[in-house]
Amino acid sequence: MPRPLRVIAAAFALLLVTACNSASSGGSTPSSVRGVTADAIKVGGIVSMTTASGYSKKDTDLGARARYDRANAEGGVNGRKIQYLGAEDDGQDPARNLAAARKLVQQDEVFAVSPMSSVTFAGADFLDGQKVPTVGWGTLPSFCGPAHIYGFNGCLVPTPGGTLNQTWPESLAAVLGGARGKSVALIAGDNDAGKFGIRTFTRGFKAAGFQVAYAKAVVPATSMPSDWSAYTKEILRSGPGGGAPDAVVSVMQTPYNIGLFTALKRSGYKGLITDPTDYDPGLLAKDATKQALDGVHVLLQFQPFESDSPAMRQFKDDIKKAAGKDVPLNMHMMTGYMSADLFLSIARKAGKDLTVESFQNAAAGFSDSGTLVGDRAEPKGKKESFGCGALVRLKNGRYEVAVPFKCYPPIPFG
Amino acid sequence: MGDLLGFVLSGLVSGALYALLATGLVLSYSASGVFNFAHGSTAYLCALAYYELHSGFGWPAVPTALLLVCVVAPGLGGVLDRLMFRKLAGVGQTAQIVATIGLLVALPAAGRWTVELLERAGAPVLPAENQFGLPGVGPSPAVSWQPIDGVGVDSDQLITWITTAVAAAGLWALMRHTHLGLRLRAAVDDRTLTELRGISADRLSSMAWMLSSGLAGLAGVLATPLLGLSAHDYTLFLFVSATAAVLGRFVSVPLAFAGGLGLGVLQNLVAGYASFTDDITGFRTAVPFLVLFAGLVVLVRRQRAAGTAAADPPPVDYLAGKGWGRRWGGWVVAGALLGTAFYTVTTPFWSGILAQGLAIGLVFMSFTVVTGLGAMVSLAQATFVTGAALVAGLLMSHGWPFVAAAAAGTAAAALLGAVVALPALRLGGRSLALATLALAFLADQVLFQLGRLRNGDTGWEIPRPVAGPVDLADDRAMGLALVLLSAVLVALLTRLRGSRWGRAMLAVRSAPEAAAASGVSVVRTKLLLFTVSAGLAGLGGVLYASYNTRITATDFTAMTGLVWLAVVVAAGVRRPQFAVVAGLVFAVVPHLMTTYVTESAHLPVILFGLAGLALANDPDGYCAALPSRRAARRAATRAGDRSSAPPRARTADAYATGAGNTAPGTDGGPGETPSALRLSGVRAGYGGAPVLHGVDLAVRPGEVLVLLGPNGAGKSTLCRVAAGLLRPADGVVRVRGEDATRDTAVARARRGVRLAPEGRGVFPGLSIEANLALQLTEAEDRDAVYARFPGLAARRTVVAGSLSGGEQQLLALAPLLQRPPAVLVADEPSLGLAPRVVDEVFQLLTELRDHGTALLLVEEKAADALGAADTVAYLAQGEIAWSGPRSEVDRDRLAEAYLGTGVRR
Repeated sequence: MPRPLRVIAAAFALLLVTACNSASSGGSTPSSVRGVTADAIKVGGIVSMTTASGYSKKDTDLGARARYDRANAEGGVNGRKIQYLGAEDDGQDPARNLAAARKLVQQDEVFAVSPMSSVTFAGADFLDGQKVPTVGWGTLPSFCGPAHIYGFNGCLVPTPGGTLNQTWPESLAAVLGGARGKSVALIAGDNDAGKFGIRTFTRGFKAAGFQVAYAKAVVPATSMPSDWSAYTKEILRSGPGGGAPDAVVSVMQTPYNIGLFTALKRSGYKGLITDPTDYDPGLLAKDATKQALDGVHVLLQFQPFESDSPAMRQFKDDIKKAAGKDVPLNMHMMTGYMSADLFLSIARKAGKDLTVESFQNAAAGFSDSGTLVGDRAEPKGKKESFGCGALVRLKNGRYEVAVPFKCYPPIPFG
Repeated sequence: MGDLLGFVLSGLVSGALYALLATGLVLSYSASGVFNFAHGSTAYLCALAYYELHSGFGWPAVPTALLLVCVVAPGLGGVLDRLMFRKLAGVGQTAQIVATIGLLVALPAAGRWTVELLERAGAPVLPAENQFGLPGVGPSPAVSWQPIDGVGVDSDQLITWITTAVAAAGLWALMRHTHLGLRLRAAVDDRTLTELRGISADRLSSMAWMLSSGLAGLAGVLATPLLGLSAHDYTLFLFVSATAAVLGRFVSVPLAFAGGLGLGVLQNLVAGYASFTDDITGFRTAVPFLVLFAGLVVLVRRQRAAGTAAADPPPVDYLAGKGWGRRWGGWVVAGALLGTAFYTVTTPFWSGILAQGLAIGLVFMSFTVVTGLGAMVSLAQATFVTGAALVAGLLMSHGWPFVAAAAAGTAAAALLGAVVALPALRLGGRSLALATLALAFLADQVLFQLGRLRNGDTGWEIPRPVAGPVDLADDRAMGLALVLLSAVLVALLTRLRGSRWGRAMLAVRSAPEAAAASGVSVVRTKLLLFTVSAGLAGLGGVLYASYNTRITATDFTAMTGLVWLAVVVAAGVRRPQFAVVAGLVFAVVPHLMTTYVTESAHLPVILFGLAGLALANDPDGYCAALPSRRAARRAATRAGDRSSAPPRARTADAYATGAGNTAPGTDGGPGETPSALRLSGVRAGYGGAPVLHGVDLAVRPGEVLVLLGPNGAGKSTLCRVAAGLLRPADGVVRVRGEDATRDTAVARARRGVRLAPEGRGVFPGLSIEANLALQLTEAEDRDAVYARFPGLAARRTVVAGSLSGGEQQLLALAPLLQRPPAVLVADEPSLGLAPRVVDEVFQLLTELRDHGTALLLVEEKAADALGAADTVAYLAQGEIAWSGPRSEVDRDRLAEAYLGTGVRR
């Protein structure tokens, strides 16, 4: 063996022995509860704020802050104030997501992470392994299953063997006056996620009684088409007798929807158009998007900002206080706000003696109703969404509630 | 039919944008030799600036757009050219590719950071978030018409078409009908020859970069309503338009333009008609990359020096000859310290970060193999990482143990590597980089969309390995194990480099043909190189995924691979331990920055990107920068010592009896005309190889000095020194009595020294007329040439490359008669010409002498040239063996000079 290799081999042997001795002492638990003192609970957040794609969820942080501020103003949770450290920016980068989780736990020593809202959740296994209660937007599979991770409106990723949320098909049926004899066209991006979306929604819409005339994941997923006529032409000929379907359902992101909807309308489509992402009053600020989305029915899984419930008034109040001025509301604020709210509610139920165990126990039998995301229940929320939603319709530059916020029973998904 | 027309028309919209970007790419590439991967980022910056100025500051649309396209974007191009591209033109292709990739990362971050800073300063900017339906130059929302049933057009599309058409027409007029355009085309055709004509190719390349940036800016502003503000989308858009640049073979602007238009249409047609692909997830998404890949493989001609060749010679080893302790001592100590630190000083958080850095360092080592050793740029390393980790995760979910799964994953990555290597067998340099990038995107969009492989967004769990009492779930143990593994891999890679196979690789890299001739299989070596590199990346990937404890298909995308490359090459790819440093820096620096410098996430990105700028100065990376500079300085000092020593051999003095013209001495003595060109004591060579050992020569106006010498005597080197292409290491060059030693080729040419280089001094891609117009701006001068050479007149629109050798030589020399230079250095003007043409050439040269031009004729064959000579000098082994008037030339002297016997003591 040459000299360098020999030296390295010797070092290897020596150091591995050291490693063996110390590996066992690595996971000792401190006597006190991480992040909980007599009068404070330390909480952090992880949110995608600056990204190369320019997509930002940074208002999630504001929403969470607003909710924690109110909790503290009301005296905190069982006498403890929430010390919210603000959200770490993960930039939609898995490596940074994990690093942020590690920083919050190992450096800042938080008790919980809430909100966590990103398109990646590489830190999930670490947070769950370190027993860190985490609440966030359940659009990722990590929110469905792990013991310590909760979605603020449940787990939004259907799993085979689980259930499907029927909010969208049912409320669409309400708009169309029943699903019988009505045809829908489903369109999604050309990738695995799009395929999966098409599969689940086809089942959901069929179960609700719709005829699914077109269901394809065909739109190039990374570079948006500049021309949509190829897709609209096919859709408009897919309905019964070669005509247009009664509704076009897009399972895509906003920029795609704007292109598709504009093209549909230009080809003279008069039916119903709907998507689940474009509930963003910020979109109304620009004429082009306002026009493209006019008349579109948008699904949302929380109470619409247009509703006038006490909880919604409270939400608007809290946001205004936290921002220091009137700001246009968006769904990210709701994500942050309701993530914080779910954490607070469970922590309150856990009682004065707040530990991870008491938190988990409290969560295991947690339920309440009438919140901004409907009726919440754990551990049901680890397997399925809370199943509540509303449809709003954009009309003359304003969102109007088309189908009020309501909870629907899910169907099995096999 | 209506469908088809509609598809074609609207496909022309994105086609127009592709065309604009591709045109810019080709322009800047052909003028400077640097393929600008950051071209899309320039477009993004302009889109961002347009949005902020128009929507934020409320500036009017059209003037803002004009300001950006005509002033700001060209300015940015000019500045980047001055700071970066100009220097990059002189370094290897790898550094060029990486530097512009760094820029691709840094520019958008810089833009967003600027917006952030402006916002803090209270300027009325809007957040630089991606938004949709942004207003373009036209009305917002766009007005739409339906001229034919089923075919819709809106105002944004119309504006894009019209603007692109105007830009294309303007560009055509500029290139074809202005002197600037002519010079640009000349520089594209033959950069060195342009400089020899006294035209600064640097200034031309600046112009090309400014034009190119302007076009990118135009594309950016036009694309704002379509693409919004996603830097990512602009970059993807650029890669697609690179396809069009490939269709133009990187040099033809019209072809690239047409290719761009065609690409847009093709994409639309596929979307409209390729319903058979519905079952292949990701196929439609991948269409542009399929076209890019196919275009590269089919269209790119195998070039003699395509990237892997002498353009990228292996760097000099600054540690050559040092002992084991000097080479490795520091690294061993650093490794031991790091290993100990895990159990002593580092907090759990930092242990985790360091372990992460080490894990990514393993991946980075794969670049050391493919880029460091093989000088090939692979942008598909992230694909190998994802592939290996997915396979390992899949197998572990079936109960395989970690080691077996890791081995299988590594093997899968190696297999993928072999597939990716296939284009490498044909391509090199930027073409290879683009091909691997296309494959990386294809893998992301098709291969990793396979449900069985990716397992949805959940991915696969890859738990940390546990072997007996060693449990790597502890970050410290993981870190230590990674330190040791890195050490083993560094040792193995270092041995590999020194092995027979490593030498074969270096041979293939430096001169594939020569390597093949010496029995080294180029195909096998390259294939093996890619396979090893991919396997290494795969192994690193499995370990990195195991650090994360999970792999999902979107963890490491093709774009991640770009950032990695910039980070690792900035640190240096020549030695594997630099990759470890790069990994640690990549993991640690962002946290240090947020803790101590700024919360802004943009700054680390900018810094990582700008490390590419440093490559222009230190192509070997920052790890090697200090030692290699020191080594270079030492070498320079040594060389200096050598050259100040007394000359090894005598110069021509002793023989120069009675040859007052060529004797050394001061010019401008009483009553004496100064020499037109005088070299005194000139030493010159290439790298470490001296060629000229102190040459003295002088030519006076209206005189012909014929320099004779055998093959390899240093004649062409002397010509290069005379023309300013090669700066002498020592000695003085005077032109008309003035010291011109430090001149560039351009400055030398402007002093009136012309080199007619060996071979033909014409621009083969330009017409006869253009060749003449480049030197003779006045039409009557050109007419005079045509009058003298009716053969040229008859074919003035024919490209010079298609003329016979003799006609080309006449074309090269003819314009000089109209504007005689002070000095003409002609390197083998009669080489390969028919005797009748040789006579004509010498007659032309004699005529030039009569016009007062000083001629330095360099010939290997004495017979033809002697007739024209006033003075003769023999060059042998880099020294003037004899010089004197022609009358004193005799057979013996000639033989003596050719055999080199005369100079030997």
